[in-house]
Amino acid sequence: MADLSQTAPTATGALGRGSDIKRQRRIRRAIWYALILAIVIWCAMVPVRDGNLSIYFAFMLGATMATGLNFVAGFTGYMPFGYVAFYGLGSYVTGIAVKLLGIPVYLAVPMGGCAGILLALAFAPTLRLSGIYFAIVSLSLAIILQRSIALMPEEITGGSLGMNIGVLTDRIQGYYAMLVVLVMALLTASWLAESRLGRSLKAIREDAEAADAMGVNVVRSRLYAWLVSAFFASLVGGVQAWFTGAFDTFTAFDVLVTAKAIIYAMAGGLGTVIGPVVGTVVLVWADELVWRAFPELNSFLLGLVIALLILFAPRGIIGTLIRRYPRLRNYFM
Amino acid sequence: MSSILLYNALIGGLVFGAIYALIGASLNVMMGVLRVVNFAHGEFVLIGSFLAYSVFSLTGLNPLAALPVVAIAMFFGGVAAYYLLIPRLRYSDDAETSSFLLMFGVSLMLVSSITWIYGADIRPVNFSFDPVNIALLTVEDAYGKGRDGKVLVPTARLVALVINLAIIAAMTWFIYRTLPGKALRGAIMNRDAIQVVGIDIDRLSANAFGLAAALAGVTGVILTLVIPSVDPNGGAPLTLFAFIVIVLGGLGHPIGALLAGMLFGMVEQFSNVLLPQSAAQMVGFVMLVAVVMFKPEGLFGRKVMR
Repeated sequence: MADLSQTAPTATGALGRGSDIKRQRRIRRAIWYALILAIVIWCAMVPVRDGNLSIYFAFMLGATMATGLNFVAGFTGYMPFGYVAFYGLGSYVTGIAVKLLGIPVYLAVPMGGCAGILLALAFAPTLRLSGIYFAIVSLSLAIILQRSIALMPEEITGGSLGMNIGVLTDRIQGYYAMLVVLVMALLTASWLAESRLGRSLKAIREDAEAADAMGVNVVRSRLYAWLVSAFFASLVGGVQAWFTGAFDTFTAFDVLVTAKAIIYAMAGGLGTVIGPVVGTVVLVWADELVWRAFPELNSFLLGLVIALLILFAPRGIIGTLIRRYPRLRNYFM
Repeated sequence: MSSILLYNALIGGLVFGAIYALIGASLNVMMGVLRVVNFAHGEFVLIGSFLAYSVFSLTGLNPLAALPVVAIAMFFGGVAAYYLLIPRLRYSDDAETSSFLLMFGVSLMLVSSITWIYGADIRPVNFSFDPVNIALLTVEDAYGKGRDGKVLVPTARLVALVINLAIIAAMTWFIYRTLPGKALRGAIMNRDAIQVVGIDIDRLSANAFGLAAALAGVTGVILTLVIPSVDPNGGAPLTLFAFIVIVLGGLGHPIGALLAGMLFGMVEQFSNVLLPQSAAQMVGFVMLVAVVMFKPEGLFGRKVMR
């Protein structure tokens, strides 16, 4: 009898499995929202209990950038090595809006985000490139944008001295703005992963032609992921300007901004929702704990981590765990 | 606009063009044979420059004395680096993008190591030839009012150009006229097919990586003659220029890179004279984007390799 019930799936069995899937989804969601809540409470308390603002800001910035990059790198397989272009544009649009147009910073940052979407639309033709061509062109476009801003009149962009909006903005407000943007990015990530768009993107990443044959609009799905990704990077750039109050063409378009976003996302696991957050927590924490002792080796260790990750754990912490213990898929988004 | 500036741009274009040609060609050997996108290529060049600086500052000899040492050391270093890094990449989903990120990590480590060893300052290489400059030609009435001007070129740059062209000639001969060179070209055209004719692809790949590293190092030595200083942070621009060159010449085609390198050198030197600084720095990248979007096989097509 026991044999029978196992080999012949009954109506109740199928139903049971269905409720299993729902239950697992509930568990995954509960874990995810608990994590977001924990991050919010923990980070919101930092200014109150006089914690180190810069570190937690770096964590929130890194987690948002990694999550934003994950929309395009993890969900579509494109590696935008010039991701910093959107970040830099966000900084400059915010800076110019605040300083020259007198717009309040909380409106200027969303303006930067919209500018990022426009730039992403302008760069959209590059999405038909594949693999390394996309990465190289993306990087080149970021450099072209940087030099274009350097070419603009000094009265607008501040020239080689950069922009300083510190007197017009409040650092603590910038810190909380970063928290808001982070939560927006995380909620968007979990929404996207469970939405029709997210499932289309995963199908495209696995096999674009098969997805196309199944009726998925490949071009449009990729474009949406690309726009969302660019939007968040531009918001982060704007909030960064809000928090630090000063930037120039070198810091706003530093290739390390892209590199860190990629590494944080990869360390946790590209293509998973929780991965970029986990990767950022681990690496920012390691940065503080270990690397502070050897400041001159900071970039050496960053490079070493990158190389070791690519060689030994290209799927990252979460990706490797899920591969080894497939049951964990039930618990992690 | 004095015509002397244009003559200088022309000569500078030749000198820098030959350098870019060599950097691009060595990067393309890696790209073509191994499908490795070496984002640390500029740092490979820097290692050559810093070794030349060491030889010069320790012995006072001409930095060119470092040439054979650098070539041999970089070749074996390259072979070792190949076995350490590259074979594992085969397991990744997208080997090219993975190699790009891996070599970016390597470039961070190299810059940091060079800074740790030599310090973060830009060091001058005060070696001078006798005579320091050579007047190539005289331009009549260059500055108006009947004053003639001379087109002066640093001897060091001319020496660099001659050596560079000799290396390029040797490399072209090697690739087209010797058996290992033909194997190299074969691997670029079809990596699977040449294993059928009995070529050990692992050994060939390791040697190709070593050869490319050695060429990069040699270029670094020559570079100390053209720009007589060494800068630990000078690698990144070189890497980017190398990428422009290989995209213009077609990814994976060493000979296409030679032509594209000369072209890029000319374009860069003339834009430096004719355009504002930031615009001049942009020209190469605009060319890169335009070529990838509209002519991804490169400016010279596939015929160049045959």
